[in-house]
Amino acid sequence: MGNDIDSTTRVEMKSTSVNTREYSLWNIWIISVFLKLLLSIGYHSTDFEVHRNWLAITYNLPINKWYIEKTSQWTLDYPPCFAYFEWVLSHLVPQFVKDDGCLKLVEKGQYGLPTIFYQRLTVILSEFVLFYALKWYIRSSKSQAEARRAYVVGSSLILSPGLLLIDHIHFQYNGMMYGLLVLVINNARLKNHLQCGFWFALLLCFKHIYLYLAPAVFVFLLRDYCLNLKFNKRKSVFWNTLHLINWMNSIKLGLIVVGTFGVCFAPFIYYQQIPQLLERLFPFSRGLTHAYWAPNFWAIYSFTDRLLILVYKNIPLSRIPLLSFFKFNEALLSDPKFANTSTRGIVGDIEFLILPTITPKLTFLLTLFYQIMALIPLFIQPTFYRFVGSLGLCGFASFLFGWHVHEKAILLVIFPISFLIVNDTRLLTPFNLLVSCGYVSLFPLIYTSSEWLIKVLYTFLWYVIYTYNFRNVTKIPKHNKGHDLILDRFINLYILGLLVVVGVTSCIDLFETKFEVLKRLEFLKLIIISVYCGFGVIGSWNGFSWAFFVNDSIFTEKS
Amino acid sequence: MAKKKSSTKYKPKPVNVVSKSPVAKPSPFVDAPVFELLHNFQKAPDQWAARYIIIITAIIIRSAVGLGSFSGFQENPINGDFEAQRHWMEITTHLPINQWYFFDLQYWGLDYPPLTAYHSYLFGKLGTMLNSKWFELGTSRGLETVDLKNYMRFTSLISELVILSPALLGFITFIGKKLNLRRIDQILITCIVMCQPALILIDHGHFQYNSVMLGFFLYSLVDLLKGNFTLSSIWFISAIFFKQMALYYAPFIFFFILSKFVVNLITKFNFAKLFSVGLTVLVTVLTLLSPLMLGGWNDMVTNLKQILVRVFPFNRGLFEDKVANFWCTTNLVVKYKQLFSNDQLTKISLVFTLMSIAPPCLMVSYKNLMGSKFSKSSTSTSKYMSLVYGFAATAWGFFLFSFQVHEKTVLVPLIPSTLLYCLNTSYYISITQWINNVATFSMFPLLKKDGLSLQYAVLLVMINWLIGGFNWRGNLLFQKSSWFWNSVFALSYLSIAAYHIIDFQFDPPASYPDLWVILNTTISFGCFSLYYLWLNYEIYKL
Repeated sequence: MGNDIDSTTRVEMKSTSVNTREYSLWNIWIISVFLKLLLSIGYHSTDFEVHRNWLAITYNLPINKWYIEKTSQWTLDYPPCFAYFEWVLSHLVPQFVKDDGCLKLVEKGQYGLPTIFYQRLTVILSEFVLFYALKWYIRSSKSQAEARRAYVVGSSLILSPGLLLIDHIHFQYNGMMYGLLVLVINNARLKNHLQCGFWFALLLCFKHIYLYLAPAVFVFLLRDYCLNLKFNKRKSVFWNTLHLINWMNSIKLGLIVVGTFGVCFAPFIYYQQIPQLLERLFPFSRGLTHAYWAPNFWAIYSFTDRLLILVYKNIPLSRIPLLSFFKFNEALLSDPKFANTSTRGIVGDIEFLILPTITPKLTFLLTLFYQIMALIPLFIQPTFYRFVGSLGLCGFASFLFGWHVHEKAILLVIFPISFLIVNDTRLLTPFNLLVSCGYVSLFPLIYTSSEWLIKVLYTFLWYVIYTYNFRNVTKIPKHNKGHDLILDRFINLYILGLLVVVGVTSCIDLFETKFEVLKRLEFLKLIIISVYCGFGVIGSWNGFSWAFFVNDSIFTEKS
Repeated sequence: MAKKKSSTKYKPKPVNVVSKSPVAKPSPFVDAPVFELLHNFQKAPDQWAARYIIIITAIIIRSAVGLGSFSGFQENPINGDFEAQRHWMEITTHLPINQWYFFDLQYWGLDYPPLTAYHSYLFGKLGTMLNSKWFELGTSRGLETVDLKNYMRFTSLISELVILSPALLGFITFIGKKLNLRRIDQILITCIVMCQPALILIDHGHFQYNSVMLGFFLYSLVDLLKGNFTLSSIWFISAIFFKQMALYYAPFIFFFILSKFVVNLITKFNFAKLFSVGLTVLVTVLTLLSPLMLGGWNDMVTNLKQILVRVFPFNRGLFEDKVANFWCTTNLVVKYKQLFSNDQLTKISLVFTLMSIAPPCLMVSYKNLMGSKFSKSSTSTSKYMSLVYGFAATAWGFFLFSFQVHEKTVLVPLIPSTLLYCLNTSYYISITQWINNVATFSMFPLLKKDGLSLQYAVLLVMINWLIGGFNWRGNLLFQKSSWFWNSVFALSYLSIAAYHIIDFQFDPPASYPDLWVILNTTISFGCFSLYYLWLNYEIYKL
């Protein structure tokens, strides 16, 4: 099923227009646009007002005020390219939308349906970048079998419930950003290193969260483009050392990357606002966990802390061992002020009452450590699959151990990994675990009851369709020793458990007005989802890491 | 939505499409996006999944439409159909059954038959379990909280899923077997029919429970096709007892069943079967009314009288709002209300209605009496399709000529008309989609008032896109050969487009505030009449 087909079949494929037409993503995109249009009048989060405010800032103020302005609390905290993007959008606003208050620079925006339609439409249209990038990814496949795999990957990303929930209900512009990331990935696949560097630099100028992926891109470009590790025996050691670095390539790439950053930041360099800009981009005053816990390591850590508090309070026998082991300040426990802090992203010195406090430095070191681990194989073997695997693991490391991680950042993992998994069926199990837990963990983001059925059914449908389709197109390894069936069964059971999790949390929601006691469980819902999904995401990380470090054959390029 | 790639990639396409099919023609949908989205369910092992995927997609679309507003949203103190339905849940759950049809009639008094009331009671009780404030007597009037809205949306969704969807699937499976439709075509037709905007917009946007009545009707239709007349009459009585609009189908089903009992033209008449059907009808009616009998004989009689008065409002005039039927349209020229009294108008409209429903009823009865061979061109499928045509034509006759028609009532003739997709040729698909488009268009003034323009536009574009209306190749909105139909389609689509441009750009002149609406009803009436005539011609041809 997964074998690459021979050239005669390829000729056939080109000759029959029906077949090539079938790999068009166009219809998939259109059908999703209809749904997105229907959703446009539904719930949107404060991010909508954030972006509206940015439209107002870029429209009304000269460029040197953009990063200083703070009438509204939603200050501009994305890099300059995004600000330019908002500037362009703000100048395209039609008159009747302006009259609606779309471009008013005020503390709290007053807007109606025209503004909502306009901004929703910009999200839908800007997603065209993603569509185009994926279309190109499919078109640049070398064989029909590869195109088929690419098509499943592409359509799964276009229809990703993550994008639907975050962009088209919650409101953000991730579709466009991930479109740029796909350009980076496909350029790496086609060995267009310069373009790869350019698009990644541009992506960073749009949204700096992609810095988490930068190490992988850097190592890939360095190793595959800038270094020349072949030892030429006929030349001297000195010559070889000198030619260790491919100087020409390095200069070209360096110029392009530095040039991109330079052009993007030029106005702010000119106005000497770089420190102010950086301060906006990297606010370190936030808490370890976000308001809703992202399903990562710290969610489980916080959960353990809450659990230990309960144990400590209710089981007198446990007090002495707990105290002597963790050496915490007992007095804080009885302080009502801290009763619920660890479920909110409250800024404060103390987030944990029993377990040791986590510092930003520690999270940084942990992230770095696991990222470096993911970079070493890439450095040794700079193939495309190593590259996307390494991107995914870098995303994993930052998602699992990063400081103040949003649950939305799970897309940072899912997007690159999607390009990898069609290469080997052994990766499907951790992938299923990742997408199911990752997407379900987004549910609390859309807490309105109107969208409940849509988010649940859409994710369910997506999961069913794509589990089936990925299984159909993914390559089966030649020396298949058989899956670890027991583990696979267990993981499938775990994924099914998500239905129970969603059911229970929804029931808490449903009967909240009926039974007062459930209102106190408000955070319990979030904890259940975060912790359950957290274990899932960590499990899938283990699965991918195992494959990455042990199963070499997945990542070698087959010619 | 969206399924992708077939694993049968390497075989040449045409072989793939035709395989195992008794008909050697490719699917008419082959160039349409809906085919591309669903074609990987061609393989037999995957076909079962297609239905579930279509149903889940249908739920997602309906919930997404449900995000929009509903009739009478924020229009206190009168509100609209939404408040009416909520109010009925309120009174049925709080009052004894003999007061249901008497309570405060000025404020949305119950004016549908008892089954609607029981349905309201059921969902009222369920809702009270979740939040007792939603349906509290008196205090809950005009309540429009988000939770309540979602609950109500959920009730209409569940009603459709439980009643209409299985009936529709049942119909398509049955007729698919009889007409030798490929499985993939059945899947495509299911998808197309489920995505038709008219019912979605009224039930899940405007807010009503038409799907229940239409579902009962479809069950009845399927049983008629199978020849189970007794079962069919149970379903049919349920439909009438849910919404009296099901009576639009009644003359036809009466004639149809009666003509089926004549075994031989003069000598034999199957009284036994007639008796069993009659008894079934009687028992069903009594069962459905039995809760009302609890209060004793006198109580029941007053209640029944009151129900009849409430359900058939003959004192309300020939037409109320602007609707695309004969009376409203010709009223532009002939001012009926000045020329005739209300009583006279009732009689005139009765005569016109009888004249309009007579052709389909009589033609199909005649063909039934004549035996299995309908006419020279008749095929075995004619027997089955005559029912669908007949129901559609009769209901269109009622819609065009009867008394007190609402624009939403177009759903009643539209549902049997939509079933003509099952004929599965480009000729029938284009005509069926055309009448669906026009019917949806005819409800636009209502939907615009409800604030559902976005949903209207999206769904209308979506369905036409799905069947390939925006393709160059294999465009199913138009036909391959018939210049007559193609010019009709072109003309009506152009005038619909023109209407929307005018409606969007300009306000109607102050002296004629209803001018645009009248323009709408006139366009729609033209199309509906032509369609009605075509249906009769098709029956004649059978």
